[in-house]
Amino acid sequence: MGLDETLLENAGGRPTLRLYTWEPDTLSLGYFQRFAEVPAVTNASAVVRRITGGGAIHHTGELTWSITTAADDPLYRGPIAESYRRVHGIILAALHALGIEASLREASPLASDRPGTGMCFHASTPLDIIWSGAKGMGSAQRRRRGRVLHHGSIKLAPSELEAGVAAASHIDVETMGRALVSAFEERLGICCEPEGPRPAELREALRRGERFTSEAWLHRR
Amino acid sequence: MRPDDRKYLESHEWAKLDGDTVLVGITDFAVGELSHGNIEDLVYCDLPEVGRQLEQGETFGEIESVKAVADLNAPVAGEIVEVNPAIEDHLEILATDPWEKGWMVRIKPNSKSLDHLLDAEAYEQVVTEAQGA
Repeated sequence: MGLDETLLENAGGRPTLRLYTWEPDTLSLGYFQRFAEVPAVTNASAVVRRITGGGAIHHTGELTWSITTAADDPLYRGPIAESYRRVHGIILAALHALGIEASLREASPLASDRPGTGMCFHASTPLDIIWSGAKGMGSAQRRRRGRVLHHGSIKLAPSELEAGVAAASHIDVETMGRALVSAFEERLGICCEPEGPRPAELREALRRGERFTSEAWLHRR
Repeated sequence: MRPDDRKYLESHEWAKLDGDTVLVGITDFAVGELSHGNIEDLVYCDLPEVGRQLEQGETFGEIESVKAVADLNAPVAGEIVEVNPAIEDHLEILATDPWEKGWMVRIKPNSKSLDHLLDAEAYEQVVTEAQGA
């Protein structure tokens, strides 16, 4: 979370697609969520609060992706819903390449919709990605000073805190990551340059990261 | 053209002089981007406490729609002297009347000059570019 925010704050920074997993398994609360809204909060190994809205996510058995770029990037320009459609279209292409018959939810209700849990994957909107009749990929955006952070989770294994959601259990995280990079390259006509965080970004991410798990931040709502 | 009785930020806030204070809100374009024409997509707006001191450009609040959280940025430096009590519980006001009833905060500015902000014509250009036209 600290690195995602660092990349968001990096004015003038290059568009970045970041892929990551979590250790230990972590429940992230949506920015505006209250602890009491998420009964599962006591059952995860760690808890953080995101700077993006929406429901809570149990980050385990998933590939997490984040995009940080300028808000006038062609991928994000215009109505926010349209930017979701564009980005989720690329993620769909990656899932299709791996043989997963995924689609946008559009109007269909889902077997995975479960009111009262406060979990992102137990609520759905028309632009969420689904397969096997359940939500398998959800995402959220933060917009700050002319930049966008858009991050989301692709479920690759079931979690007991998110019963009933879709999971591409036959795909390992590296394969999913490679398919995602290929889909972004093909759809956008770009060539991704593999790179880890730069030392200054890492220092800033560690500084910001301390806040995400602090009591004051976690209990701000 | 948007109202020319006020000034604008590129991040889609407006500022209007009202006596010794400045009223601040967000534009119809900002509301449209967040809600995509469906006002029920706006779910939360967090506004500051009265008495808070703001720097120009500082984030004074946040607005959440179903799919994005966006910062609200202060067009001028000064002190928050009033917060519109209707907004947090009636986000639909932002869609029905963003220019008058939809004001969010009243700031007692350190300086009454709004010359550093965009006029309506310049803001129109920002909107045109944001629409990708």
